[in-house]
Amino acid sequence: MIKLHTSLGIIGIELDSARAPATAANFLQYAQDGFYDGTLFHRVIPNFMIQGGGLEPGMSQKPTRAPIRNEADNGLKNEVGTIAMARTSEPHSASSQFFINLQDNGFLDFRSPTAQGWGYCVFGRVVEGMDVVQAIARVQTTGRRGHQDVPVEDVVITKAEVVD
Amino acid sequence: MPALFISDLHLDPARPAVTASFLDFLERRARRAAALYILGDLFEAWIGDDDDQALGKTVAAALRTLTDAGVAVSFLHGNRDFLLGQRFAAASGIRLLPESVVIELAGQPVLLLHGDTLCIDDIAYQTFRAKVRNPAWQGQILALPLTQRRALASQLRETSQQATRQKAADITDVNPDEVDRVMRAHGVQRLIHGHTHRPAIHQWLLDDQPATRVVLSDWDDDRANALCCDDAGWRLEPLLPTGT
Repeated sequence: MIKLHTSLGIIGIELDSARAPATAANFLQYAQDGFYDGTLFHRVIPNFMIQGGGLEPGMSQKPTRAPIRNEADNGLKNEVGTIAMARTSEPHSASSQFFINLQDNGFLDFRSPTAQGWGYCVFGRVVEGMDVVQAIARVQTTGRRGHQDVPVEDVVITKAEVVD
Repeated sequence: MPALFISDLHLDPARPAVTASFLDFLERRARRAAALYILGDLFEAWIGDDDDQALGKTVAAALRTLTDAGVAVSFLHGNRDFLLGQRFAAASGIRLLPESVVIELAGQPVLLLHGDTLCIDDIAYQTFRAKVRNPAWQGQILALPLTQRRALASQLRETSQQATRQKAADITDVNPDEVDRVMRAHGVQRLIHGHTHRPAIHQWLLDDQPATRVVLSDWDDDRANALCCDDAGWRLEPLLPTGT
């Protein structure tokens, strides 16, 4: 399990290394490297998702490792409480940023191996601290530095702790 | 079932990622809506429904899939795609709206516009608009061969981009008095438009009654927003967990 210590409490994540091996390993590596420590949940949209793991306070982007292959064709669905990788419109562009689904977002699921149909890769789920996720979803947001839906008060991942 | 509103995608063969986002939106998100309203500038340029470029055909086919699935799609012209016509509408199953229209949402009348008519401080643009929205001018243009129309369109775009760069920011935004006037004239307290690329939900008092003006977002490689109107209210909904 990976414990995301945030300014609003601890979120426990269980990775699905069986069904999303490359994506789970990628997340684990960033966590072990301390990459996520000090990053923000920088995009918070109630009834949709909370997104983080790439920007630092002040909305500066941390340099990431190379993007990974999109494993969204693994059958896992963007259901409430699952964690998935954010990406650009290029299907295989995810690196460090992830999001936690606040509701069943079936429109983000894999449909076909095309630019339009790849979907967003689910690689685990929240097993503890869903109340913390909900608390983050309720914070007040604003526009900042070209980003929308940014929490007015920083929601910081103080530490990503890998626990056995 | 919600109604969705989008505008200012400026679809262009040079920006395939935006087209991909839009096709994805039609395939997934829009399927869960009762109605989709596209309030202009869906395309960066439109030189006539007889144009043979692939983008128009791809978009028409994707819209057709959506309208065949029972989602009502309406389109209102923008300042880029004002030549989009009945032939495209028939192919895609969409309904063409007049340049301003009042619809009913949750029992309230709501005015829909592209938004360029609200920017009355930009006199040069309004003069240009009067010319290109004239049916006689449009008829002349559509009678030209495609190659000539293509050249003319790119020339117009260049002129427009140069002019916009030189204009003060405030004249390319809406004129607030004109907003009030137009809303009064249509008897509405609610207005949805695009065009200015300044997405926001504005609220104020119009004749002592609460008024709302939603400005829709433009789209680019990592931004795709729709206004969603349902029982829970109105919100500008980002469509993608975009990031890397």
